[in-house]
Amino acid sequence: MEGTMKIDLDKLPIKRLEAIDEAGNEQFPPDIGYEEKRLNMIRRIDFSSVVEKDSKKQKNSKEVAGPQVWPWQSLVENLQLAQQELSIILDLINTVEANDAVTVAGMQRPKQLPHEALSDIAVSAATKLQRLRHLGRYFKQSSKALERQVSREVRFYGSLIRLQQNWKVKRLRLGLTSPSSENFTIDLLDNSMTDFILSTWSSALSTVRIDHDPAGNLTVELPSKLLRSLYIEFPGFHSSNKQKSFIKKKIQVSDDHSRDDKSKAFTADDINNRVKDSHLVLREIQRSIFQEQVFDLVYHDTFNPSRGVNVVAMREDSLHLSIGQETSVSLCLLPPIEEGSIEKTDSACQAQKQDGISSSNSLGLVTVEEKQDPYKKNYFNFCDPVCLEIYLQYLFHKNVFLKAKDKSLSNVRLQAVSQPAGSGNSLLGHFCMTIAHRIFSQKVLSVLERLVEGVPYLHLLSHPTWHSRISSWSVSLKVPHSILHSSRRIKPTEGCIKCGVRSQFHTKIVVNDDQIIVSGECAASIVGSLRGNCLEACSINSYGCNLVDLPMVILQQVAGQVIHWIYEEAMVVGMKVSRDFLCLYFELDHGETLGLVANVDAEDIEGCISWWLVFDDGSMEEGKLAGEDGDCKNRRFLGHLSLEALHSTLMDLVSLCSAGSH
Amino acid sequence: MSKPPGAGSGPTAAAAAVAAQKQKTLLQRVDNDISNIVDNFSLLVNVARVNDPPVRNAQEAFQMEMRAARMVQAADSLLKLVSELKQTAIFSGFASLNENVDRHIAEFNQLEENTDRLLERIGEQAAGSLKELETHYYSSIERMSHQEG
Repeated sequence: MEGTMKIDLDKLPIKRLEAIDEAGNEQFPPDIGYEEKRLNMIRRIDFSSVVEKDSKKQKNSKEVAGPQVWPWQSLVENLQLAQQELSIILDLINTVEANDAVTVAGMQRPKQLPHEALSDIAVSAATKLQRLRHLGRYFKQSSKALERQVSREVRFYGSLIRLQQNWKVKRLRLGLTSPSSENFTIDLLDNSMTDFILSTWSSALSTVRIDHDPAGNLTVELPSKLLRSLYIEFPGFHSSNKQKSFIKKKIQVSDDHSRDDKSKAFTADDINNRVKDSHLVLREIQRSIFQEQVFDLVYHDTFNPSRGVNVVAMREDSLHLSIGQETSVSLCLLPPIEEGSIEKTDSACQAQKQDGISSSNSLGLVTVEEKQDPYKKNYFNFCDPVCLEIYLQYLFHKNVFLKAKDKSLSNVRLQAVSQPAGSGNSLLGHFCMTIAHRIFSQKVLSVLERLVEGVPYLHLLSHPTWHSRISSWSVSLKVPHSILHSSRRIKPTEGCIKCGVRSQFHTKIVVNDDQIIVSGECAASIVGSLRGNCLEACSINSYGCNLVDLPMVILQQVAGQVIHWIYEEAMVVGMKVSRDFLCLYFELDHGETLGLVANVDAEDIEGCISWWLVFDDGSMEEGKLAGEDGDCKNRRFLGHLSLEALHSTLMDLVSLCSAGSH
Repeated sequence: MSKPPGAGSGPTAAAAAVAAQKQKTLLQRVDNDISNIVDNFSLLVNVARVNDPPVRNAQEAFQMEMRAARMVQAADSLLKLVSELKQTAIFSGFASLNENVDRHIAEFNQLEENTDRLLERIGEQAAGSLKELETHYYSSIERMSHQEG
């Protein structure tokens, strides 16, 4: 308010004389209480001046606004009035509030009309309805969200349980331990393998995280590092046999998947496939870890020197070994490659390649070389690197991993080789010996095959030994049935070789590591022939020889067997025969002898065993038999006879002899 | 969880005590959540009444929203509890885990045996076939003609 209001205050309200009576007694007014005083004071407030002023103002404003009629004028005035009233009332209220003495005695709300009340209620009911609808929507939404969450969890935990049946699932709690921030990992490491030092590579691979994608699908996090596999390669020969990687394919496909996932709903099949995929991925990682471990073990094994095995080159992911003089082999850890893009990879092994294939490793080049050198092709086919890879892994798995699990043997390494064959305590030694043996036995086999080619009546039979460092074959000689003795022949069995007439002779060739042992029955033995004891010659004897002598030894053996057979036949016929080393002498009349001599030559293309007929009238010395070529009268080349021809020759001789004797 | 009889001390008793404690807290949480839902729902229903003096509209609206949110939150917490239980079942069901492992061991042993047998059979068959082929070859016309030639 603008200060025109006057407030009249009594100056001395206390102890003022009210009256003095005749006796002079002063009369004081009764004490006024505080409240009464306040009330009096309020009553004295004079609003008249304000009211007057206001009315004046109104008049003035009306005069001013008079001439121009503004449509909102009355409204504005009313509002102004209302504002003034309101301000006064507010003042009053303030005052009342400030003073405890003033209380509002009673106030009556204007009574509402029924339709007003109803409309009020209707409005509030409608508002409430709207609120409730809103709530309903909210509930529906959240229930949908919860349902989604439930199904997501069902899917995730279902998959997790299925994974857990085969893998070691671990729970990894992060720093903030709320259940939602939990991570699951799969531990692919074998706990029993604690005594092996893991390379950082495989230990990094061994923990696989499980992802829980927004759709609730369980996905196995693909390893960031490349999975490597163990390869065995021979220098100069590139194997086209590469393992296919499931993960690599998976990485390629996963992009497409992620796009599809959002749109389609998941069926049970989908989930099955995903779990299966996870299994495959895990399996591949595990296999890779195993191969890394095997490679590590091989690496460590190279520190134990073993006979004939030398380390030529060593790298983080490859190992180049030479076995003996000729063979060398390299073990590499390589990432898998895709089909059709062989050229991109295995730089490590490429670098180590010796001459032969110089530039790229395209298959064409390999086939060209195979055509050029059939022996080499055989040689490598026999030593299929894949077989060796499998064998190496099998060896380490069986001898190191399984034994480490047993823990019964304290020193694994020393006991590692279960096969007692040969030298080389370490597994690597054994493995290298196996490779060497494979290659060597292949050479032996090719020698035998050439021999069998050269001697038509020889049969070569393989005898699988089921041992990695022992191979065995037998060369059998099947002699034709003698017509004369077919009636009284007893069936020849192994047990009664010496009795009766035989139909088969065997020579057994056993290759143990790089030693060849030839054992045969009825072999021509020089010792036996010197003693003149044929029976001894018939006994089974065995001796070792080397690869160079092998064809000669076998041919001598076979020729001896043939001689033995003819000797027996001749004895049966009733001729006077004597046997010498690879010779058979028929005694004719007058001290004359007719010799049937076998000539053995492994290099002969037409046939390895040829026959000579030697006539000796007793005047000739024995020493000349082999020497003088000029004596063509006494010697006659019969050629490479078949057994039947030999037999008929014998029969001719028989008739000749009998004719001569008569 | 009742305490196992005779488990006076040692790690078993401690573990049992921890488990009992855990179970108790879990049950408590379930109770809390359920009662939360029920209470909030009943309050929600109460609030839903149209009052005679049509006042406090905004306040009521806020209240309703708050109650609803609390219900949903309680439900969510229940769900979390369920997933926690699932995890516990997965990771602490040692009996079933062991059973699984045993089953797998048996399975793999069986597989190993079968594979061994299979390999053996394949080896035998291969040896047999090789022998057959060899005899066949040596009695074949080609070989015979070669012999004659």
